[in-house]
Parts: sequence; C-alpha cells; structure tokens
Amino acid sequence: MKKQDKSIDKASQELLEIAEREGIDTAWERYEAMVPQCGFGELGLCCRNCLLGPCRIDPFEEGPQKGVCGATPEIIAARNLTRMIAAGASAHSDHGRDVAHTLLLAAQGKTEGYGIKDEDKLLSLANELGIKTNRRDKKEIAKEVAEKVFSEFGQQHGELQFSHRAPEKRQALWRKLGIMPRGIDREIVEVMHRTSIGVDNDPENLITHGMKTALGDGWGGSMIATELSDVLFGTPRPIRAKVNLGVLKEDEVNLVVHGHEPTLSDVIVTASQDKELIELAKKNGAKGINLAGICCTANEILMRHGIPIAGNFLQQELAITTGAVDLMLVDVQCVMPGLSSVARCFHTKIVSTSPKAKFPGAEHVEFNEEEALPIAKKIVRMAVENFKNRMKEKVNIPKVKMDLVAGFTAESVFKFLGGRYRATYRPLNDAIINGRLRGAAAIVGCNNPKIKQDWGHVEMAKELIKNDVLVVVTGCSAIANAKAGLLKPEAAFQYAGKGLQEICQAVGVPPVLHVGSCVDNSRILITLCNVVNEGGLGEDISELPVAGAAPEWMSEKAVAIAFYVVASGVFTVLGNPFPILGSREVTELLTRRLTEVVGANFAFESDPIKAAQLMIDHINKKREALKLKPVMYEKEEVLVK
Amino acid sequence: MHYVIVGGSASGINAIEAIRSLDKEGKISLISDEEFSLYSRCLITYFLAGKLTEDKLKYRSSDFYEKQKVEALHGIKAKKVLPEKRKLLLDNGRELAYDRLLIATGASPKMVEVPGSDKEGILGLRTYQDAQLINERLDKVNTVSILGGGLIGLRAAYSLHARNKQVKVIVKSNQVLSQMLDSGAANFIRRKIEQKGIQVMTGLAAVEFLGGKEVSGLVLDDGRKLECELVIVGKGVRPNLELVKGTEIKTDYGIIVDDYLQTNFPNIYAAGDVAQGKDLISGQSTINALWPCAVAQGRVAGLNMAGKKLKYDGSMAMNSVEFFGLPVISMGITRPKDKEYEQLVREDEKNFVYKKVVLRKNRVQGMILVNKIEQAGVMGILMRKKVDVSSIKEMLLEDKFDFAKILPIIKEGKELFTEREFEESTISY
Amino acid sequence: MEKIFCDIRKCLGCKSCEIACGVEHSTSKNIFKSIREEKKPRQRVIVRSTTKEPFPLRCHHCEEAPCIEACMSGAMYKDEKGVTRHDPDKCVGCWMCIMVCPFGAISRQESLALKCDLCPDREDSFACVEACPTKALFAGTWDEFKKRLGQEKR
Ligand SMILES: Cc1cc2nc3c(=O)[nH]c(=O)nc-3n(C[C@H](O)[C@H](O)[C@H](O)COP(=O)(O)OP(=O)(O)OC[C@H]3O[C@@H](n4cnc5c(N)ncnc54)[C@H](O)[C@@H]3O)c2cc1C
Ligand code: SF4
Ligand code: SF4
Repeated sequence: MKKQDKSIDKASQELLEIAEREGIDTAWERYEAMVPQCGFGELGLCCRNCLLGPCRIDPFEEGPQKGVCGATPEIIAARNLTRMIAAGASAHSDHGRDVAHTLLLAAQGKTEGYGIKDEDKLLSLANELGIKTNRRDKKEIAKEVAEKVFSEFGQQHGELQFSHRAPEKRQALWRKLGIMPRGIDREIVEVMHRTSIGVDNDPENLITHGMKTALGDGWGGSMIATELSDVLFGTPRPIRAKVNLGVLKEDEVNLVVHGHEPTLSDVIVTASQDKELIELAKKNGAKGINLAGICCTANEILMRHGIPIAGNFLQQELAITTGAVDLMLVDVQCVMPGLSSVARCFHTKIVSTSPKAKFPGAEHVEFNEEEALPIAKKIVRMAVENFKNRMKEKVNIPKVKMDLVAGFTAESVFKFLGGRYRATYRPLNDAIINGRLRGAAAIVGCNNPKIKQDWGHVEMAKELIKNDVLVVVTGCSAIANAKAGLLKPEAAFQYAGKGLQEICQAVGVPPVLHVGSCVDNSRILITLCNVVNEGGLGEDISELPVAGAAPEWMSEKAVAIAFYVVASGVFTVLGNPFPILGSREVTELLTRRLTEVVGANFAFESDPIKAAQLMIDHINKKREALKLKPVMYEKEEVLVK
Repeated sequence: MHYVIVGGSASGINAIEAIRSLDKEGKISLISDEEFSLYSRCLITYFLAGKLTEDKLKYRSSDFYEKQKVEALHGIKAKKVLPEKRKLLLDNGRELAYDRLLIATGASPKMVEVPGSDKEGILGLRTYQDAQLINERLDKVNTVSILGGGLIGLRAAYSLHARNKQVKVIVKSNQVLSQMLDSGAANFIRRKIEQKGIQVMTGLAAVEFLGGKEVSGLVLDDGRKLECELVIVGKGVRPNLELVKGTEIKTDYGIIVDDYLQTNFPNIYAAGDVAQGKDLISGQSTINALWPCAVAQGRVAGLNMAGKKLKYDGSMAMNSVEFFGLPVISMGITRPKDKEYEQLVREDEKNFVYKKVVLRKNRVQGMILVNKIEQAGVMGILMRKKVDVSSIKEMLLEDKFDFAKILPIIKEGKELFTEREFEESTISY
Repeated sequence: MEKIFCDIRKCLGCKSCEIACGVEHSTSKNIFKSIREEKKPRQRVIVRSTTKEPFPLRCHHCEEAPCIEACMSGAMYKDEKGVTRHDPDKCVGCWMCIMVCPFGAISRQESLALKCDLCPDREDSFACVEACPTKALFAGTWDEFKKRLGQEKR
C-alpha cells in the first residue's frame, strides 16, 4: 500500500514514510499482513460460543450449513452481532460507572482532584431524578445523584431514568416492542446468557434484545457518562484549539494522553500546569510542558480546556514515531497493544493507569480517584524526567496542524442557533422547516486501515455540508474533520451549501460541529429530542430529516452506538458492513425490515460519497413525509439524481 | 521410418501424438474409412440429443494432422495386412508399405439376426454417420425401441427421450447395465429413468421385426407386439478384425497383444477396442472396450513404436454415466461370483445413494458409486496399486472417504506409488 | 512448473483457502457480493482431513494427467504451461475424469466438471496461497517446495 492510500492526512503520510524507513510496524502493515482476512469471520459465519465448535458455515453452501448444535448461519450471525453490542455497551457503561464513582467520591470529599464544576447541571439532573434540591448542600445533592445513577446499572426492573427523555411516541414504541431497557448491566448479562449455546435461537429475537441492550447504553451508560462528566468537569463551551501531530513541540516536554475516560486526563491538565513541575521541566532543558491527546480522552479535555489534539485512533503509533513524545499515558479502550513495540524504537515511556487495562512493555502506575492529583503529578514528573532521554536525531514532528472550534453541546447548540439571548431550538427547527437547512447528520466512529484514514469521515462531511446538511461529529470522526479544517467557521464558505453557509455566517459556527467524545453521542440523542419537542418536525425522532453514519468504524462500541441510534429512529450508514452478511435473514432484517419495527434501518456503503447520497436521499424522503418546503438552494445535480 | 496407423480414433490419434513426441521426422500415415475425423464417438448420443453441435464433437483442432505432419487418408479402408511383405492392402487397390504398423480399427456394433432385421430403420450407433442417419429419420418417428440395456442403449434412449420420442428399452437380462453394475445399483438407475418416462422391459428379446420396407414394429419373445418406427441396436460390439483375417497375426476374440501392445509380429502393434490384452484386476486376457483404455493403449503403443520400451499395466473395466442428474461410476469386478470376495454395500434409497466395494484379500477389486461419485478415482488408485486397505476398510463407503484418508497407505507403499504427485502430497505428512 | 503445494503440518483447517478460491472464481471477486451471486461461485479446493490432520484436497496438475486421458470430449487439456485446464464449453458431464482422478480433485457443478485452474485471472499469485494464514500452502516448483521443507526441518 502506498502511503497516499493509507491516509489522507499529510502528517500521517509523513510519519508513515519514516516508519517504513525505520522498519516500524504500524496497524497498516499489520493489516496488510493479515489480508486476506478470514472470510468466515467477515461474514459472521464462525461460532466459538461453545466447545462443540469451533464451527463455521460454508457461505457457498457446499460444506456444512449448520453448526454442531444445529445453529444456522442466521443464528450464528445474529448471536455474534448481539455479543458485539453487549461488548460495546459494556465499555461505554463501565466508563459511565467510573464517572459516577468519581462524582460520589468528590461529593464525599474523599478526593481533592475533583469538585463540582457545573452546579446548574447538577441541579437540573437532581430535579430530573426526583432528588430534592431545596436549600441542600450541593455535595449532598451530588452524593444522592451519584447513588441514584449507580442504581441504574444494577436495576432489575422498571425503566432507565434517562430513557424518559425520549419523545413520548418513541417511549411507547419501545414499551410495545419490549425493548425499554430495565437496567444497564442486566441487559448486557442477558445478552451473554441468550447467546450461549442452546438459549435464544431466533435471529430476530436476538437482535431485538440487542437493541434493548444498546438503548441501555445510549440512554443509560453513555448518557450518564456525559451528564456526570459535565457536572464534574464542567459543561463544554465552544472553544478554539489546534489539532494534528504538529501540536507536539520540539522544545517542550510532550505528554500525550490516550484512551477514553476524562477522570485522569482532567487532573493531568491540572498537574501539567503545576509551577514546580514546569520549573523542573526547565531545569531539564525544556521550555515547558506540552499536553496533547489522542482519541476520546483527548476530546474530553479539548472541549473543556482547549488542550490540543495530537491525532485520532490510527495516529497513536505515529505520535510515538515522531520521537518527540516523552510519555504516553493510557487508560482504557482503543489503546493498541502494538504501542509498546513502537515505543521501544524511541525513548517514549508508555504508562498504563487503569487496573482494568495493562499492556505489554508499559510501565504501570495505577490510578485511583482518591489520590488523583498526586498520581497525576507523578506521571507528569516521569514525563519531564524522560525529556533528557529524547534522541534529537530521531525527532520528526510534522509541521502539520489545524485550527478548530470544539465543544458544542445540546445546550450550546441551541444557545448558538437560537441567538445569544433566546435559548431555544426554534431557529434551528425553522431553518429546517423553511428549507434553508436540508437536515442534519451525525458522523461518528473510529479509523480503520480498511479505509484510507480520515477519507471516509472527511469526504462524507464535505458532501453533506455541500448539500446544506448540518453535520455534527464526535470521537475520531471529530478529530478527522478537525484535521481537515472542517471545524473552522471559515470552512462554511469553502465547503458548505448556500443555506448552511448563511446559518454559519449568522451565528458564527463551523458547518461541522464537534459535539464531543464517543460517549457524547448521547448529546446527539438529547439534541434530537429537543428538536422534536420544539415542534414542527413530527412527533418522533424517526420522523426527523436526519441520518447517522460511521464511515470508518471498527470497535464493538460502534456497533452498540449504531444500534441505539437506529433503535432511537435514525437511519444509519456504516462504512464497513457488520459481520453478518453470511446470513440473508439478518442482513434483510437490518437493512430493510427494521424500518417497519423501529422506524429506521442500516445501510452498508464504503464509498463515503455514495453513503452521503444515501443519507441525503433519506433526509429528502423525511422532508417529503413531513411535507416541508423544498430545500431553498437545491442544486441541479441533486435534482437530476 | 514409416509409421502406418489404421483407424483414426482414440487409439490412433493418441498414438500419433506419442510417436511425434519422440520422433519428429519419421513419416506417419493414417488410414481411416470414416470421412468425419477427429471426433469422439462417445459424444454422438449428446449430438443426437441436440445437446452438442457438430463442431463440439471434435476433441482435437482441425489442423491436427498438419501440425503433427501426418499424411491422413480418409474414406479409405485397409483390406488386409500383408505381414510378410510389410505392406497394407487398401480398398482402392493400392499397397502401402510400412516399417511399423498400428492396428487401431476399434469395433462395430453387433446386429441382430432375426426375421425382418434387414428392414430400413433398424440401426446400430457407433459412428457420426450412424447418428446422422438416425437424426434424418427422426421426423417420421414417434416411438423408438432400443434393443439392449447397456451403456450405449441407455444413452441412446436418454438422447431420444430428450427429443420427445416415446422410448422403450428392451433388455434380455433382468437388469440394465449388466456389464457395469450389480442389480442393486441397476435398480436405482432403472427407477430414475422410468420415473422420467423411459420404459424399461427386462427379460425380453425381439424375435421378429414387422413392417414393409421400413420397420413399423417388432415381436417380443413372449409374443407381445410393439409398435415402433425406429429400432436402435445396442447389444455390444465386436472388434474389427477383417483386415487380419487369414494372416499369421494371432487373434482370439480380438488381436492378441503383449504387455507392450505388440502382436506376434514385432513391428505390428494393436491398441484400443480391437486389441485383446491383460486385464489389470483379473490378469486374464480380455478387451475392455473403453475410451480411456484406448487412449492409454494408443499412447503406449505409439511410444513403443517410436523406440521406447514402455510396459502397459493392463486395462481395467470401468465406466461412468449420468442419467437425469443421477451419476454412476463403476470399476472392476462388480458382481463377484466367488465366495472369496467380500462385498461392502451402503444403500440410501431416499437419496438415490448406492455404494459398493468388492474386496479380495483386503484388496479392492471393484466398486460401484451411485450419486456420490467424487471419490471414485481415489478408490480406483487403490485398485490399480493393489494395496491392502484393511486399515481404512471401515471408511471406504462413508461420505468422508477421500484422498486424505489414504495418505498413510501411500506413505507406506512408496514403491508402488511412484508417480511424483504422490510424493508431492505426502512429503510433509 | 509452478503450482500449489501444501505443508500438511502447518494446515490448521481454517478453510480460508476455500473461501478465497470461491471468491476468486466469482464474478465480483468480492466476498460480500460473491455469496449472493446468482450462480454460486464454487471453490475448487476442499479442506478435508486425514484421520487426524486437516488436508486441502485439490488438483495436482499431474504430469501425466489421468483426467485428460479419460476425458472423452477433449474438455480436459494441458495448456502450454503444463496446467491441467478444463474447457466448460466442451464438457458434457460424463464424469470420466472424476472416475480416474486419484486425488478426488474434481467436483460437479451441475453438468460441468470443476477443478483447480491455478487462478487464470491472476498474474503471479494464487488466491488460496495468498489466503493461507499459516503459509501451509506454497506456490512454486517442486524443487522450490522441497528446498523450503528442507530449510524448515529442524
Ligand atoms: C455411443 C458411444 C458411447 C460411448 N461411451 C463411452 C463411455 O462413456 N466411456 C467409454 O469408456 N467408452 C465409451 N464408448 C466406447 C469408446 O468410444 C471406444 O472404446 C473407443 O472409441 C475405442 O477407440 P478405438 O480407437 O479403439 O476405436 P474406434 O473408436 O472404434 O475407432 C476405430 C476407427 O477405425 C476405423 N476403421 C475400422 N476398420 C478400419 C479399416 N479396416 N480401415 C480403415 N479404418 C478402419 C473405424 O471406422 C473407426 O474410425 C462409447 C462408444 C459409443 C459408440
Ligand atoms: S484433476 Fe486429478 S487427475 Fe487431473 S491433473 Fe488434477 S489431480 Fe491430476
Ligand atoms: S466430465 Fe467433462 S471434463 Fe470430465 S471427462 Fe467428461 S467431458 Fe471431460
């Protein structure tokens, strides 16, 4: 593979060349070595759920058509996919649980690293959860909020509190289908039970429970993570920052945080600003301490502190390849075990911190919330002390970086679009109703060497905004679009259609809005509820002219997200298909029949332009159904199509 | 060196190629009494059925003779071999001298000799011309009687059924394909073809043909009369020996050849349906009148004529057919008479599966596979190499039986499995 | 002649070769599309097993190929490289080839014989060899294969 085919990112390309020269293995090389990948796996036709197996079904229908237990391709594919949902949901939920735990400790005064940064949000949450707020100490309230939220994880019956945020019609549908999640953990456990040998062998029944589990993530685990993070670390506000590997500094200590949870990265921000440590850095010959992030933990501190982002998922190894990273701190999720072998070629220290996630060749400094700040300082000190080991001749920082604005939330979106003084979604709804905006779309998810890095995200975003579709992004997609300059307000003039341009100009926002990390997809759900509640665009999310996409997805978390988005009523296009195509029935269910069930379905399309077209077609259909005015600045080519 | 070959079919053509692979210069002449050449006679029933066009009958390209530098004389019959003069007398009166002669004259259908058998519309089926004759008559034909339930009889029945004719097959013995199959397997075939509308009548023979100039019916030995406008005789073949009659060349049922396919005259060879030689399984002198045997014999004879000294292992009875999607393969001894033979049989009526293996002293002597035929060749190689199969006997009839299962046997029997491909597949085993 | 060999000790029975072969012989040459093609692509290598180990059954492109000798239609032939090829236009489905192939390497696709054709659509690689995750399948000449086995014997 040529480097141009690996990534559209100039910084990535530059470092890939170095990696090749130095014989450093990256995910791309490992992917190439793995190709062709196992077709049974790709099609979802292998099962290892019990030791009658491993079994695999011949997709060409000559060899075995049933597993030893009798499982058909439909059963096997559905079971595997449902397990992926459970794994993804558990990741987000565990993240949410950790944030709740931190809130509890903070409320109990057991940790000095954290306080309550957004009191308004705490109070409104308390109200929503039925917790008294009148003349009570905020710590008391926070404690009760934390406890109440904790109980949602282990709840055995009833309904998740935040699911009541969904439009009435949606809630009624979930109840009718029996997919209103009861408890976050319960649904996940049930997936594991159902998918073990000889339990649930009805593909549709399995997928239905998968949706329930996913809803427990989107309207439970993930939403809790978002909401409580806002309480603890402050609700993000639009903020300017820089992105890409060029943010690393040749003359400063570079500390890169990588992973997902904000609990550690947030105190690292504080620790890196410690006077004493900065002094120490200077003594070691550095001009200061430069903090940067990768993946979602980066998004968390970007949104709240304007900390620069070094890169997205596929750049984790490349960051080390710059030779300028003195320490990379990792917590959980999306951290490649391949990191340490890259680090071995340089002076970079990899420090793992979560008791849940240890890595070969990494130093482990275990993190706990009680001693958050001292531990954070210890790690920053390690970085500072490692600066002197940097090998000057091996330092190659690409001069590639980009400006961006990040930190939009369900709250700030309407503050912005509603004008600075009227906090309402009305103008947004009106813009859609009168056709200035065609609709809105979310682009989310990972990088995957199967698709040229960032190409899927960026091309899709460009195509959508060109067609007056407002785009919101999270996670690695947000970083991809940021690197491509689409998160700058000026991007509207270069790329957006006329209608979207007018709006961006009026309110001063970029055409592509950064709404956070992957758990913050819950912000998108809330925004959609708000749009429905504002009125004029139907009574359910499934009636809105909106669509979702994950053009470069790879993680099981993306599967969970995709499912809660679809189960919430949003048509979703995936760049790589789910590993289920070996089953006609499951494919048919997901790509067609699901619409009749939850009002939305999946599509698989790896070409981002074609995928965007699918989304636009869908949005147009929804506009038609709502009998909205024609899009104000409809382009010829769209009409012709 | 002048090579003369009589008969340009399976044996003759392969002999030419073999000679040319060793001798690029020698003169080769081919005498054939057929005008249409380089075709496979096995395909004529497919032609009759309308499934193949004339050009698809050819198994070599039309510039074959040119490329192989062969003087090909078609439409000319060799009347007599004159071994002492090393000459061949042709029916155009010419004499052709040879240094080496290959007799590859094949065989002709046996016809029936009963009252009325000289009527028009009673035909054998051996050549392209026969097929054309039948084809030309078909317009005026509704019902066809086939005499003989052998391979050619049934193939003919199958092809005329495909042309929407009423077809009745009259078989003297009490089963079809009696040369090839036991009654168990034959019943599967019979069931299948009867299901599809071909009538099979066993234990019967025609004793008289009715009609004027043209046949209009026949009388069976039980007195029944059948109406039919066409009769095809498929009652086996007899070797074409006319050109050696009255010569010193030794014959029995066919021309006697040794392991090198030489006759009793060192410069005269015989191959194919006309040659009688060693049977690989029984060791007896016999003719296995089969396409693959004719090809292999032609090749060996050709190589030997050009100076090699290659031994021919012997021929093996075997055949493969498919009727209405039901394939059957048989090899070797399928109906042992003797108690020394052991027979393994598996039958699955519902799925039309029948498998049989005949063993003697733990060596495979014959087999029949109906419907699940893919592993036939693996059994074939066990037969050919005459290896002890006691270690895999249980598996032989199972669907899982395949080449992989005989790897240990090959590994052990290296001296027998000398072809390189066997070493290739077992070297890492 | 270059062909495909197998180091049986390395075969894990994953059937990746089967899949790759099926995809290679599809119209789309894309796994996701190929399994939905009207005419199901068929693999020409089948992973079976000895009594213990997995073993990929396939055509060995015999030097003196019995299938060619037996084929009564001229459908089986050797090409100039020595590859045993099959011409579906000529094949009549008489299964004479199946009757004599000692490897059981030929299967039936409706009324046509089907076997390994050494990937004629590829320049210099074989789909199954490429797909083999343990490199049990090997592309090369007999001498090269022997050499490799020699190098790997400890
Ligand atoms: C309809 C049909 C189906 C068959 N199906 C099968 C099958 O499925 N499997 C199988 O194994 N076999 C089958 N056979 C048998 C197979 O065709 C023969 O075994 C094979 O053709 C023998 O080849 P040969 O070269 O020995 O002789 P032939 O093919 O008989 O050729 C001999 C040639 O010599 C010519 N000739 C004879 N005498 C003279 C002479 N004096 N001068 C000049 N030329 C002469 C003949 O006209 C003929 O052209 C079938 C045969 C027929 C007719
Ligand atoms: S199909 Fe069988 S007989 Fe023919 S070349 Fe291949 S392995 Fe040999
Ligand atoms: S089945 Fe086809 S390839 Fe095989 S022998 Fe018959 S005609 Fe030849």
